[in-house]
Amino acid sequence: MIPYIIRRIIHLIPTFIGATLLAFIISQLVPGDFLNSMRLSPDVRPETIARLEQSFGLDKPWYTQYFLWMGSLLRFDLGQSFSGNQPVSAVITKPIINSLILVGISLIMLYAVAIPLGVFSAVRQYSVADQIISAVSYFGLAIPNFFFAQVLILCIFLFRSFTREYFDYNQLILPVAQMTSSNYDTLTAFGKFKDVLWHALMPAFVVATSGIAGLTRILRGQMIEQLSSDYIRTARSKGLDERKINYKHALRIAIIPFVATIGALLPGLIGGAGLVEIVVSWPGITPTLLQALTAQDIYVVLGFLIISTLLLMIGNLISDLLLAVVDPRIRYN
Amino acid sequence: MADAAKSLTPRKSKQVERSKSQAQIVWEQFRKHKAALIGGGILIFMYLVTAFAGFIAPYGINEYRRRPATDFQPPTKIHWIDPDTGRLTRPFIYNVVSDRDPVTRQKVYVEKPEEGKFPIRFFINRPEASYKLFGLFESDLHLFGVDEPARIFLWGTNNLGKDVFSRVLYGGQVSLMIGIIAVWISFFLGLFFGGVAGFYGGIVDDIIMRIIEIIDAIPGLFLLITLSALLRDPRNPIAQTFGLKMNSAQVFFMIVLVLGFIGWGGLARVIRGQILSMRELDYANAAKSLGASESRIIWRHLLPGTASYVIVSLTLAIPGFILGETGLSFIGLGPSEVDTSSWGIMLRDATARGISIQFVPWLLLPGIPIFFAILSWNLVGDGLRDALDPKKRR
Repeated sequence: MIPYIIRRIIHLIPTFIGATLLAFIISQLVPGDFLNSMRLSPDVRPETIARLEQSFGLDKPWYTQYFLWMGSLLRFDLGQSFSGNQPVSAVITKPIINSLILVGISLIMLYAVAIPLGVFSAVRQYSVADQIISAVSYFGLAIPNFFFAQVLILCIFLFRSFTREYFDYNQLILPVAQMTSSNYDTLTAFGKFKDVLWHALMPAFVVATSGIAGLTRILRGQMIEQLSSDYIRTARSKGLDERKINYKHALRIAIIPFVATIGALLPGLIGGAGLVEIVVSWPGITPTLLQALTAQDIYVVLGFLIISTLLLMIGNLISDLLLAVVDPRIRYN
Repeated sequence: MADAAKSLTPRKSKQVERSKSQAQIVWEQFRKHKAALIGGGILIFMYLVTAFAGFIAPYGINEYRRRPATDFQPPTKIHWIDPDTGRLTRPFIYNVVSDRDPVTRQKVYVEKPEEGKFPIRFFINRPEASYKLFGLFESDLHLFGVDEPARIFLWGTNNLGKDVFSRVLYGGQVSLMIGIIAVWISFFLGLFFGGVAGFYGGIVDDIIMRIIEIIDAIPGLFLLITLSALLRDPRNPIAQTFGLKMNSAQVFFMIVLVLGFIGWGGLARVIRGQILSMRELDYANAAKSLGASESRIIWRHLLPGTASYVIVSLTLAIPGFILGETGLSFIGLGPSEVDTSSWGIMLRDATARGISIQFVPWLLLPGIPIFFAILSWNLVGDGLRDALDPKKRR
């Protein structure tokens, strides 16, 4: 197993280097010089600009700049944010963690909802409930995330205006914006955790919808295939109860491609989360990336591209390893 | 598909014993797929309506009235019952004027029945909202409209008082077309690079596959956002080199290219795999021993073999591109907002600062055509996949 992991990691290195090169070439599309805005600012001394010019190698051709940047990357230094006047790592850490919280919660929701739904509709194939589930899953696949978030926000507001007359209150049933309440800083650690979870509920559900729809359909197909196979008949004739057959025998095999898709799901979830983050003002990667692009703060943009690429690769690696664990037929030598 | 059906039916009745062509079989299979047929119908309807957007839309894409202003006006109520006689009459509307709510001091719109009825008239000429049908025929004929000073807003108005219904129709031209154009770009890129990689193998194959892996490694949304944010700036090096001003048409094509560039990898991978398995088949070897050139073997013998798979994956890629464009427009990186409209741009209006969606819910209406376009393309793609797959024939 360990040689397999090492081999996989070694295989990732050239791709990662290629991705850094691609990201750097894209960053060359920024008009003019990164330091233009700094030069115009009266607060920055000319010596500082000269020093920055030197350290980023802005006077040298782009491939030299790339190697300088790669060199500092290897020392875990992502460079300097021009607009924030602080290291890039300080700017991007928080948004990345916030986005991961959102994606993590929606991943949990995805599995918690999709697995029972998929098993249920396979066991009750062609029943009314199965048909409703498959109609709803088409709906979930087709509705754009950001639009769905907007519709849910509208529903939450409407729910309040319809029920307010009867219950006399002025609260929304779910928060529709931001990641924390205004009194967040005064809360205890557990209170903070609950507060963030509470705020993440709606956006995480929205991010998970298309995944739920897709995976329910895949799992249903897999389960139907498994349920008609011989070993299930054997299990039945042994007198095992249906529950055990469905969840212990059939699901274990049916879930294999399911595990394999985690890696493919991640970019979709991160991307889907991006637009939802904007709708609900979640302080995640995408809103910050957009700000950095507007400010042409190129090292922050590069930092986001590189770190998210790295996270994606790690995610894919983990799903490959999980697949090797789940599926005994895969040999890793 | 439709004219294929027309030409098929008479022939079938005359010569029953003649075997069916491939297209015939596929069409028959496709027809059995009810959901796909409905999806196809919705798509034909949507593309027709947006093609005739100028005619169907009562107002111009950017037409609005300064005074009296019509910002955030809710959808106009259409009356069918004549208040005097209490009987059914031709549809009419009342003029609507803005007023202040006496209690909350908020702006509200109230109907003014005392100004008389404004019947909805059909096939009227409005020189203020002239348009070019298919970009060729200048016209100012509109399907319906009402006399000034009343205005008919079927789906309400946005923050500037522009008609949402008209803008949805015009927006469809951008949102629906971008999917189709981008899919052609990724089709050619995917076909070319996938074909070359599969046919030549070796180092060429390695390089192409690595490039695809690298593009795939960066999360798609961030790549999309970054590329379109940087390329739309007219001062970027590429625009400078080619002397582009990045006007709205150039931004449009830039976005199409970026979408196509991000999307071609998957298709190339699949085509490569198919070619790898096919180039050792007998018919490829036969063509080679007959002296066919390499490009002839690729284009005439190998690629047609991948056709059914390619058609399906292209159809299923279109909704992704539509989603990509609306998403980009939604965050303000889509086609220029000044002289075009797009469903994503319109949904962006609903999130603008200081807007509470509960008071202007009609601003969310542009999301509905996005939903139906994506749903229908998915249904048609699924139907095609089943129809083209011999194992799934019924």
